[in-house]
Amino acid sequence: MNSIPVAHYLYLAAILFGIGVFGVLARKNAISVLMGVEMMLNAVNINYLAFAKYWNWNSLTGPVFVVFVITIAAAEAAVALAIVIAIYRQMKGVNVDEIHYLKG
Amino acid sequence: MTNTFFYILSGVIVASALLTLTLKNLFHCALFLALTMFGVSGIFLYLGSEFLAAVQVLIYVGAVTVLVIFGIMLTRDVMDDKIKTMNQQALLSVVIALAVTVVAFLALCQSPFMAGEHPAALLTQIVPANSGDVYALGPELIRPDKGFAFAFELVSILLLSALVGAIVIARKDKEKA
Repeated sequence: MNSIPVAHYLYLAAILFGIGVFGVLARKNAISVLMGVEMMLNAVNINYLAFAKYWNWNSLTGPVFVVFVITIAAAEAAVALAIVIAIYRQMKGVNVDEIHYLKG
Repeated sequence: MTNTFFYILSGVIVASALLTLTLKNLFHCALFLALTMFGVSGIFLYLGSEFLAAVQVLIYVGAVTVLVIFGIMLTRDVMDDKIKTMNQQALLSVVIALAVTVVAFLALCQSPFMAGEHPAALLTQIVPANSGDVYALGPELIRPDKGFAFAFELVSILLLSALVGAIVIARKDKEKA
């Protein structure tokens, strides 16, 4: 019933990862950068599950790693948005190219 | 039939991902992010992981997108239409993102896995397995002899510290304000 070759999942993940890279590099708003990071993490999850299903179907390592990635992505999103709100309070803006307090 | 739906789903994912990162209105971006995550959960269903698909919908569509929308609303006056959404490196980042994708494609095409030298590369049908099933996943996470139990406890500590840290960072400083 399911006859999609594994390569197509990997191609989809590569395209999604590329779009995420573009978002992280090109967007000005810090929240958009966060969205790009989430997209890259999702691409990685697709890869994990595709390999787990097509290659090593006796091992549960792939799905377990997906669980960990989702958990850590949720924690990262919470902390990142807290930082965005704190920065907004300080600087009245969240453009990543204007935030260079730490520049030497 | 099921194959066509996979390619439609992939198209929806790619299109909504592109819209997420190119639209001007941040609120629309967040909604398209939810659509992207929904599509990815459909891909998880194709891969036979019903539990992870449900987790994806709950956490990404339910929690992360709502969190992002809250973040957008709390920093609202930056979503003015007149503000440029891309920085000066936009063209350069298109080049870099394309390069990353092309290198990934080339690496995929040239890997022995894709060349059919690995037996699994010829496999187009998912072997019905217990992975992704919540009854198999639960014991795997907390079984003490397999090494995931320690990581499981570490992740719970990480979640707790992220929760406390997010509150501490986002809280208004009483003495200064």
